[in-house]
Amino acid sequence: MSAVPTSASTSNFLSDITNSSVIVKLNNGFEYHGVLSSIDGFMNIVLENSIEMVGSKEIRKYNELFVRGNNVMYIASQ
Amino acid sequence: MLFFSFFKTLVDQELKNDVKITGTLRSIDQYLNIKLDNVQTDVAKYPHFVAVRSVFIRGSTIRYIHLNPNSVDTNLLQDASRREAMASSGDKIVGR
Amino acid sequence: MVDEKSVSASEPLDLIRLCLDEQIFVKLRGNREMTGKLHAYDSHCNIVLGDATETIYYLESGSEDVKSRKEKSELVFVRGDSVMSIADASNIGKTNA
Repeated sequence: MSAVPTSASTSNFLSDITNSSVIVKLNNGFEYHGVLSSIDGFMNIVLENSIEMVGSKEIRKYNELFVRGNNVMYIASQ
Repeated sequence: MLFFSFFKTLVDQELKNDVKITGTLRSIDQYLNIKLDNVQTDVAKYPHFVAVRSVFIRGSTIRYIHLNPNSVDTNLLQDASRREAMASSGDKIVGR
Repeated sequence: MVDEKSVSASEPLDLIRLCLDEQIFVKLRGNREMTGKLHAYDSHCNIVLGDATETIYYLESGSEDVKSRKEKSELVFVRGDSVMSIADASNIGKTNA
């Protein structure tokens, strides 16, 4: 553990990946593939043109989707 | 505080564990803990409620509260939501 | 100056504000979904929906198929902690059942 991430660098990460393609995974296994349009300090997220997936199965598409932050396991930028 | 202010008149409610309790809302606090009077439940389904007349319910255990539409002005609610959004916007933005 | 992006959706809850008085689709904990007209919300995602239809998905024992039942409510408050996601109901495409 040489470089402990500061809170500044995590929030830089979050602002750096806005408007880029991300995968958001939720605690219950749902995954959302889409473009991150905004995010706040609670990890509340808005995705554009997202696809809802469970495993490799596509469930739905959303033009714009709000995800409540407490359910978010991770956000991966693609 | 919007919903705290809003819940002053209302009735009829459903708990998270699928227990449904109907009653008159007597009191509410900032956590949306509530006190109900004139409590009615399906006694055949939940016999342990048979003698309960009034009840205090911890807010965190509530899933839904069904409301009487006649006692709610939805236009007023929407305006109040917009006003609350204005008041709190910009508080929690990260990395902007 | 604010750029055009931050005016339209600078923070996630703005999306919900723009849905006020619109039909929305809410995914909830416990294999539930709800559609209805959004009348109120707050920062916890507590919401009030009018003419709401709840869909509850469940498995019957001895069967692989997911079944669902619907429940209606004229006006319902939904506590924010059971909310998972919210979308404008008119902008959803099903790709698969």
